[in-house]
Amino acid sequence: MSVKPNVLVLTGFGLNCDHETAYAFELAGAVANRVHINTLIGGDVRLDDFQILVFGGGFSWGDDHGAGVIQALRLKTNLGDRLLAFVAADKLVMGICNGFQTLVNLGLLPGIDGDYTCRSVALTNNDCGNFRDQWVHLAVNPDSPCIFTRGIETLDLPVRHGEGKFYADDKTIQTLSAGNQIALRYALPDGRVADGTFPHNPNGSLMDIAGICDPSGRVFGLMPHPEAYNHVTNHPAWTRRLEMDKRRGTVPPTTVGEGIRVFENAVAYFSG
Amino acid sequence: MPQRIEITLTENLVDAEGEALRHKAKNYFDIDIDTVRTIQIVTIDADLADAQVETARSEIFTNPVTQVSDLTPLAVDFDWIIWIGFRPGVRDNPGATAVEAVEDLLRVKLAPGQAIYTSRRYCLKGATITRQDAEKIAGEILANDIIQQWAVYDRSQWDPGTGIGFVIPKVILDHTPEVTTLAIDSDATLARLSDERSLSLNPSDIPTIRAYFLDPVVQRQRQAVSLGDPTDVELEYISQGRSDHCNHNTFGGRFYYRDLSTGESETIESLFKTYIEAPTLALQKKKPWVVSVLWDNAGVGRFDDDNCYTITGETHNSPSNMEAYGGAITGIVGIYRDPMGTGKGSRLIMGSYGYCVGPRDYAGDLKPKLHPKRLLDGVIEGVRDGGNKSGIPTPFGQVMFHPGYLGKCLVFVTALGIMPATVDGAPSDRKTIYPGDLAIMCGGRVGKDGIHGVTASSATFSANTPAGHVQIGDPYTQKKMHDFLLEARDEGLIRFITDNGGGGLSSSVGESARFSGGCEIQLEKVPLKYDGLDQWEIWVSESQERMTVAIDPRHLDRFMALSRLHAVESTVIGTYTDSGKIHITYNGVTCAYVDLDLLTSAFPKWEFEAVWQPPERRGLSEPVLGTPIDMAGLILDLLARPNICSKAWVTRQYDHEVQGSSVIKPLVGAGQDIPTDAAVIRPVLASQCGLVFSQALIPMYSAIDAYHMTTCTIDEAVRRAIAVGGDPGHLGGVDNFCWPNIQYDPKTNPDGRHKAAQLVRACKALERMCLAYGIPLLSGKDSMYVDGHLPGRYGETHKVSALETLQFSVTGVIDDVRQCITLDSKVAGDRVWIVGMTRDELGGSEYYDHLGKIGVNVPTVDPEAFAEVYRRMADAIRQGLLASCHGVYRGGLAVHLGLVAMAGELGMTVDLAKVPAGDALRSDTLLFSESAGRFIVTVAPDNQDAFAALFAGRPAACVGEVTQAPELAITGTDGKNLATLSVDAMKAAWKRPFGDLI
Repeated sequence: MSVKPNVLVLTGFGLNCDHETAYAFELAGAVANRVHINTLIGGDVRLDDFQILVFGGGFSWGDDHGAGVIQALRLKTNLGDRLLAFVAADKLVMGICNGFQTLVNLGLLPGIDGDYTCRSVALTNNDCGNFRDQWVHLAVNPDSPCIFTRGIETLDLPVRHGEGKFYADDKTIQTLSAGNQIALRYALPDGRVADGTFPHNPNGSLMDIAGICDPSGRVFGLMPHPEAYNHVTNHPAWTRRLEMDKRRGTVPPTTVGEGIRVFENAVAYFSG
Repeated sequence: MPQRIEITLTENLVDAEGEALRHKAKNYFDIDIDTVRTIQIVTIDADLADAQVETARSEIFTNPVTQVSDLTPLAVDFDWIIWIGFRPGVRDNPGATAVEAVEDLLRVKLAPGQAIYTSRRYCLKGATITRQDAEKIAGEILANDIIQQWAVYDRSQWDPGTGIGFVIPKVILDHTPEVTTLAIDSDATLARLSDERSLSLNPSDIPTIRAYFLDPVVQRQRQAVSLGDPTDVELEYISQGRSDHCNHNTFGGRFYYRDLSTGESETIESLFKTYIEAPTLALQKKKPWVVSVLWDNAGVGRFDDDNCYTITGETHNSPSNMEAYGGAITGIVGIYRDPMGTGKGSRLIMGSYGYCVGPRDYAGDLKPKLHPKRLLDGVIEGVRDGGNKSGIPTPFGQVMFHPGYLGKCLVFVTALGIMPATVDGAPSDRKTIYPGDLAIMCGGRVGKDGIHGVTASSATFSANTPAGHVQIGDPYTQKKMHDFLLEARDEGLIRFITDNGGGGLSSSVGESARFSGGCEIQLEKVPLKYDGLDQWEIWVSESQERMTVAIDPRHLDRFMALSRLHAVESTVIGTYTDSGKIHITYNGVTCAYVDLDLLTSAFPKWEFEAVWQPPERRGLSEPVLGTPIDMAGLILDLLARPNICSKAWVTRQYDHEVQGSSVIKPLVGAGQDIPTDAAVIRPVLASQCGLVFSQALIPMYSAIDAYHMTTCTIDEAVRRAIAVGGDPGHLGGVDNFCWPNIQYDPKTNPDGRHKAAQLVRACKALERMCLAYGIPLLSGKDSMYVDGHLPGRYGETHKVSALETLQFSVTGVIDDVRQCITLDSKVAGDRVWIVGMTRDELGGSEYYDHLGKIGVNVPTVDPEAFAEVYRRMADAIRQGLLASCHGVYRGGLAVHLGLVAMAGELGMTVDLAKVPAGDALRSDTLLFSESAGRFIVTVAPDNQDAFAALFAGRPAACVGEVTQAPELAITGTDGKNLATLSVDAMKAAWKRPFGDLI
């Protein structure tokens, strides 16, 4: 398929990463549309016209009763069946930060045994007790079916959240692990998993989980923000790297940030 | 019958909020608590069936994976229970979103007066906790009695069936709104009525006000609308319009300035016109990038061909001093409305903060309303929630400790936006209103919030009295409004937009009506939070999250449709006219009819006596100190001083990555832990253009001379911007003055004339610096009366005045963000250069302060010479000659060489004998002098010659080398090793004071 996939990035009600998320998809070769939640509910824009649905970051409804809770409720109440049909139609769904929180509250994740309505995992308050902004190292599970992380081994991205601790009961964690649904884990600078050490694991997530996918790999949620690494100068070490490049006489190949690879994978799913 | 849901985390999960409380109790009061479990309480005051509440409980308020809940009190073990709830009328943001969720889920609409309220109870376990401890935790950590109510229960008092009962903090005013007329038979009568009604009319304004209402022409016109004596609505309007906050009477006042050392005296008719407006207008002519200054809510500068940026800054001191969290969140959310209301409206792209508070570990006799530790925590959290929940990055900020801020803290907030250069084919910075345009209020509703500021704080409370004077910002409501208004702007629906801040509608409508030449407002149309507000209260209420918009009536349907789509309330409250009058009615009856030009007519100027005595004549002199022997120990101790040490715990609470625009982050270096000189963002993602932003705050020099405080502060802000790659040809400034009361009074303000002279001198310095550096003042605000009266040990009160403080902000545009650099040393073998002259300028320094001295040799600025150095530094950066660049600021070379080494996690050799210096200086002077105009740079050996050539004939020298071994090795002027400090030891010392905070 040579046509660029259509991406729907939700906006409104306190969501806030819509501009850079749409930009990231455009950089990756998609056509991105920022659409207000009420426009989608009202039917002026039809979900059927899109291939990729993105729940972005932000503070939907102020996160007042648990991050992503009211957004999930609102969408389930008003769009529930259409969302399920979207997933069933071999399309992609992505949730970043508040969007990840929304996906788990909707039950679109983890989607164990094809049940996309069950809330079986949670993202709860960081163990450090506070909102925290920092960059993290991430290790990608090479055996994961996740479409979005294909071909990526490690990735640095920023996290910025107060409720990012991944939590589920032992049995669910076992199932996620066995099914390679744990796509992204917080890691040490050398690439080994963080094993709970703060600040490498910034929130106390069980199993250092930073992102999971459904069994098909088409629904993906993560706490870190790939759209905030859209340009080389987003990375905290970019001035140091550039200086080293200059000394070696090498020229940086691109200004596009490595976070965009996640979006390129999504686009490639429809063109490759 | 109200219903209640209690929710808590399952037992096996860490209760992060409870843990935070446990730490604070230990940290603040040394109270040992074993565990804290937090229970959220949702109280529903609406006619819902049990089954409906049960549905809401399971579907909305309970996460099945992490939480348990019940409609009866949860049985969580405790030794003490503390309950905290809001007072009536205080903005309960979670309560409001709960209503939205319940209405959506149950497909119901709550009736007027029905509501959902949230509160919390904390179950404390700990054998040694006393009732006194529990009450201290409730009253001094958890609740602020201005906005919250609390209760403490021990086991015997707790009824497990009833729990906290049903507390419904509903506002019931039981009042019929009425307009009152005020007699003006004499000045004395009006003055008395002004006092009785807290109108705060300035005594010198009263004759002018009376003369207006007694004018026969005015009286005839008023009779035609059935008005006689002035109404309370009119006098409140005049009072707001004439307040120092809205009118800047101090900066517009007349100053009689005398210098006692020279005997010279002069009269300055207006500080604003002389020192701010005149240089800015002169610079605007020379700098085509200056788009709009001095009139709108924020200044406007050119970003690139297609975009303009907007910037403004202000303070929210008094409210934060009373209620730290509420004051601070209201401050940041409020300043964000200024760029939204600039031109046709801009999208917010960043914010910054500056906090000045008393020492965090203050243990003296004075009793401020909030201890600095608690006050700072509240302020940090308020600005955090306000910024993060608005989706706006906060990549820069400063925290300053000084005992002078015990009397009143300072909370500086700054906001930047971006807007397309044209909207609907016309320049976006211009806007006007035509007669017949509709006046629309968007956003929040009106309550008793912010009426008469904090003067009402001494009023007594009943169970249903609104705690209205304190405002709690609501970023969620504002974010929805922000998104809506930008869409309306892009559709060309907005003719004029301005925010509702101080003075509420009276100010926003009053000022915007000048563009058409009048307005007719129907006050009964204004949506209210609760019934019973008097007309004047609706007119002046400062309820938050509101904008006033003028639109062409043809666009009304589309505007309202967009507003509904975004779930924002918008209401037509009247029409703009060209009648020359502000005409306000309530249910058809006129309650105000005032000439629009009254406020700009001949009110008398405020007058101030300003008398300057140079510091030597005030008894200041240089201390007599011998050279320290333990230089390494001294440097480590300086690194651990509160105004030098790491405050990463604050920085990391602020989202500085949202919008994906981060280029130079607040914390940089190999370990991402050293504060940057300045922030850089790339607000237009598809562009390589960057916006550099820096701020400086060095109030300590005011103890010697506010003139030099000002020059050094501006120089530091500029140098910070230059250090990361800023362009000296594009420097925009924002001045934020915070000054103690300058009106002399022999009893209450005996040093008022000195403080007034300091203000005059600061303004003279501001003008001098702006002209020399070429900085137009894009925006600025002043906040006077930074004084407090604090009770002491014996019940006596002490007046505590802040140091005369200027926060100066600098913006600049960078063509290509990849030219930016950071302060961390990068490669061993690079040469270390110091640029700029070090002089014997230890006056007011961190070093002197550490030893309990002030001194008199305050750093001075030679702006023309410095500006030439900055141009060369910018060239060096543009040519890619530098591996790192860092300004030398508070603490001097010792501290800042240390920061460069710590940031690079590499060592450095430094030979003090080679440091460019005015005279032969002692090692301690070289290390700790805070002379302005200096940089530390590291240069690759290959670039050494080119760099040296660029700085030939300027004060610059290579003083050492970056080394692989992570040690800062300093050689004294005698050629002997003076100090060797490992990066680890320096980081440990520098992080120790606040290292355990997250």
